[in-house]
Amino acid sequence: MTQAMNDREIRMDRMRYVKNTSSSRLCYLAILLNVLYFISIYKSDVGSWYYQILVGGSIVYNLLFMLMTFLASEGVKNYQKNYSWMLIALGILQIVRIFILPTQAHQAMVKIGNEEVTVMQDAQYIRCIIYLAGSAASLIASALINQRKSIALENHIGKIGKEAA
Amino acid sequence: MAELKLQHLDKIYDNKVQAVFDFNMDVKDGELIVLVGPSGCGKSTTLRMVAGLEDISAGHLLLDGKDITQTPAKDRDMAMVFQNYALYGHMTIYENMAFSLTLRKEDPNVIHKKVLAAAEILGLTSQLNKKPNQLSGGQRQRVAMGRSIVRNPKVFLFDEPLSNLDAKLRGATRREILLLHKRLQATMLYVTHDQTEALTLADRIVCMSMGHVQQIGTPLELYDTPNNMFVAGFIGLPPMNFYHNMGFTDGKLKGNGFEVELTEEEKETLKAYYGKEIVLGIRPEDISENGSLQIRVTNNENLGMNTLVHGYVGDRQSIVAKIRGWADYKNGDTATMKFGRKHFFDKDTTNAIRKVGN
Repeated sequence: MTQAMNDREIRMDRMRYVKNTSSSRLCYLAILLNVLYFISIYKSDVGSWYYQILVGGSIVYNLLFMLMTFLASEGVKNYQKNYSWMLIALGILQIVRIFILPTQAHQAMVKIGNEEVTVMQDAQYIRCIIYLAGSAASLIASALINQRKSIALENHIGKIGKEAA
Repeated sequence: MAELKLQHLDKIYDNKVQAVFDFNMDVKDGELIVLVGPSGCGKSTTLRMVAGLEDISAGHLLLDGKDITQTPAKDRDMAMVFQNYALYGHMTIYENMAFSLTLRKEDPNVIHKKVLAAAEILGLTSQLNKKPNQLSGGQRQRVAMGRSIVRNPKVFLFDEPLSNLDAKLRGATRREILLLHKRLQATMLYVTHDQTEALTLADRIVCMSMGHVQQIGTPLELYDTPNNMFVAGFIGLPPMNFYHNMGFTDGKLKGNGFEVELTEEEKETLKAYYGKEIVLGIRPEDISENGSLQIRVTNNENLGMNTLVHGYVGDRQSIVAKIRGWADYKNGDTATMKFGRKHFFDKDTTNAIRKVGN
């Protein structure tokens, strides 16, 4: 059987034994970018109740995000299709987050002494957007790769099953 | 093609201890050579020198005519299978088998083909997604062999690969190695201290003791015509019975309180030793019942097809006889036995005494 396979079929067949590392690595990248994001955001000297609550919520979300992304990374490693949806949802939430804390903090002013200053300066704001957008892109890419590979693997296993029967 | 020549190999460690003395051997293409001997005899050291894991202190190692004495291990095109399998516990069987090729950055599709082919040969196809700790000892050893096969090396080196397995599994894996050798027709060097493995697997056996080669020959040669007392005692289970100080007079061997009749051919063999003392060797399986030699039985071990009778002959000379069938001797019984094929050794050199011209 092995000799009769063409390159594409061999690539498919390899997936039976080789884990989906590209998807799981993209998940790890998303976690890394998220860590860089919250390292960056907590640098802000917020000094206002509203932002302190936002930051508190953000800490809790970050923990949940890392937990769920890691869980999904293990799922996609084994070509489990359902985890793709979870990754897409997490990716969308990362994009939504851009419009919550960073954007609001970038638009908000705070009085320090007698001076009114922006809570989040331009440079920090751009960094935060890059991190969150990068994280979202990694998650969505991971989900799409996993979806494509898991469907291909399913078809391949089905074909092998038919041939065996 | 892979012909290996080991020419005058010596191994001397930094502390001046010499582990191997003047090892000489030509290994033919496709031959399975078994190095056998007791612990510390230098067999594993020799194998490690061939693999490139130990420096060669003196001598030359040639592979297909090319001197590889100074070639690093990774460039020797040899694969070694270790006693402890040396598998990566966090990798699947597939990944373990593919690992060396992945390191060489071979095309993943080619790796896949090679791994599947090796797994099919070794009957591991259904285990490829498992981790090593989910497999039995025999299966793990097969994975270790598979990892060697995928590399398609010129020479396979086995360092006591079956020592970690239980007796039943050892027998099964031994047969698998034999089949593998027949299938691959590869040159193999195999180290073991188990003479059963040596006798069943080898095309030729190298028997070693204290760093010296004692005899190189086919399993039958080593069993039937051992060069010296060491080989005679090492090959064969239970080991050969030795009787020192046996004098050759009046056409008989006498000493230790008993005497042994000799055939005309044996008398001819011992002609040069007339009136001198020699060492008599008798394999337990060459002793049979219903003779004139009286043996005081101490105990017997029934093995089903055979019985091992332990006892004393003459002046409390211990003897082990392996007789056919189920015997029921008890401690203190007297058994009458006779010797069949006899081996004679020079008492000074311990070398076998052969008929002149043989």
